[in-house]
Amino acid sequence: MIYFNLFFGWIKQEIFAIPGRVIALVFFLLLIALPLVTQDPFYLRVFTLALIFAIFAASWDVLSGFTGQLNLGHALFFGVSAYTAGLLNIHLQYSPWVTIPCGAVIAVSVGLFAGIPALRLRGFYLGLVTLTFPLILLGILFAFPNFTGGELGVSGISRVSSSAVVNYYTAMVVFTVSVMIMWKFTDAKSKLLRTGIILHAIREDEITARASGINTTYYKFMAFALSGFFAGIAGGLYVHYMRIAGPQTLDLFFSFQAILWTIFGGIATIYGPVAGVFILYPLLEFLNLTAWGELLRQIIFAVLLIVALMFMPEGITVWILDKIEVKCPRCKVVNVFYRKKCRACRAPLHLVRESAHQYNKGEV
Amino acid sequence: MTAPFLNVQNVTKVFGGLKAVNDASFQLERHEIVGLIGPNGAGKSTLLRLITGILQPTSGKVFFKEHDITGQSISKTVNKGLACTFQIVKPFRQLPVLANVMVPCLSPRSRRKGEWVKTVELRARDALEFCGISDLAREPASVLSHGDLKRLELARAIATEPDLLLLDEPFGGLNPAETTLVAKSLKRLHKGGRFGRLHSEGPAMLIVEHKLADLMPIVDRVIVLAFGEIIANGLPEEVVADERVIEAYIGKEVKGLEARSQ
Repeated sequence: MIYFNLFFGWIKQEIFAIPGRVIALVFFLLLIALPLVTQDPFYLRVFTLALIFAIFAASWDVLSGFTGQLNLGHALFFGVSAYTAGLLNIHLQYSPWVTIPCGAVIAVSVGLFAGIPALRLRGFYLGLVTLTFPLILLGILFAFPNFTGGELGVSGISRVSSSAVVNYYTAMVVFTVSVMIMWKFTDAKSKLLRTGIILHAIREDEITARASGINTTYYKFMAFALSGFFAGIAGGLYVHYMRIAGPQTLDLFFSFQAILWTIFGGIATIYGPVAGVFILYPLLEFLNLTAWGELLRQIIFAVLLIVALMFMPEGITVWILDKIEVKCPRCKVVNVFYRKKCRACRAPLHLVRESAHQYNKGEV
Repeated sequence: MTAPFLNVQNVTKVFGGLKAVNDASFQLERHEIVGLIGPNGAGKSTLLRLITGILQPTSGKVFFKEHDITGQSISKTVNKGLACTFQIVKPFRQLPVLANVMVPCLSPRSRRKGEWVKTVELRARDALEFCGISDLAREPASVLSHGDLKRLELARAIATEPDLLLLDEPFGGLNPAETTLVAKSLKRLHKGGRFGRLHSEGPAMLIVEHKLADLMPIVDRVIVLAFGEIIANGLPEEVVADERVIEAYIGKEVKGLEARSQ
């Protein structure tokens, strides 16, 4: 009985007292409930792809947002894994449960290779070098059209399951596990893994991190490998869902889309890219349904991004959390915005506005 | 005879056509505090960077505990027991002060005793406590004043429990009260002992400093650098009386000046 009480007490303290976590909980419950509400293939397709792209955007955030290694060619990992999974499936008839991990492993090795320039370059110079990698790979793919399908890509790949609902739940489970791992890996406050704090330190000042005795090379490669792994998982899932591994998985615009989603949602937060994908991607797909929306799609997208960056430069999630959460000035514990005193230390959360009149009357 | 603790042998560094450090050699014994002084642009900070490995010397060698550390990556050197602070403070500005000090506590050297991951936070807090900024532990480093940042830099350096501490202007930009505090804590660190979970075996120190009045009481020996060359190396009293040092750095009283101004 006491364990129940402890458990509910923990939930009350750690989830229901923090608005951001309540939102995350509601989000996951909605994700689970979606196929119960609608079995419409269009909606399921949009949200399955959103789940896959959310893994992809979050993996970009691990590398570029947290570790500060600007990667403008993140589609490389996605595309490599997509082609690996697709080719293994087509030529060797391996099941998706084998090809997706294989693709992810290949993406990790490619990630380690792509990390070599990061030893010497940083900032935009690293971005320019990484930008060229998917273009080089595209050239190689087009050079062997018999094997890779050239510009048409590999098609006829098997699905995870014939049922749309099962596909959706598969993507959801993979998404949840991946995001949890990435969150724990990059969270500076985590007591489980201490990598998050080191990745933040590398982004802030690499020389100081090195002067603190941290082998930054090791951690940078770790970030590249992890980012590549999850981008690879996303690529494998994508290819087994869309049943085609084409050059669009290595597209330049696809790399930039990860960046746009992440910056819109909030950089250097794992929930940011997830929110960015789940706001922008379904919105644009639903605009396609209407006649005017199809025409104005790109304009609406651009205007939305500009407005978001003007008024919420740190991303939409950071902006919302700023409005609904208050950090205690004394103990830094997160509180709901309507609380007057901190739930942990009872310090007043907001400055009391007192006028001279009130003060003289003794009201304050 | 054992080899010296830190041995700098004929180190030269050339930037373009400028010889920043020219054939500098000196030794440092264990449990010794040495001041490194000299006029601006004499190459003091460059010499320090050559020892830590941020810069590669053009020629010459640096030995630390009989290991050749010339041109080694700074993280390796730090894990051998050498810690340094920077003249221009370089904190992780967006991280809390506590996290700034937790980073060195996560280095292989700090974890060599097989300490459990959770004590990292406590050790970092002890390092902050030692430097007197533990009340700011939860604030982000960007809100700290310059004096607190200097002390944070010191806390970051001692968190790895070094055997040799290279301090680049630890008193730079501090007011007199803060200066005496930092000087006292350096003296206390040199004595050694336990500060909470933090252990100090009394690191040897090499201090680059301009505030001679604060530096002289705590050092055992002074090395004077001018135009990249070591011009004096000896006890503080001897060095201050040295003719060349007065000429190059300290300056002498001009008798006629007062008369002229009156």
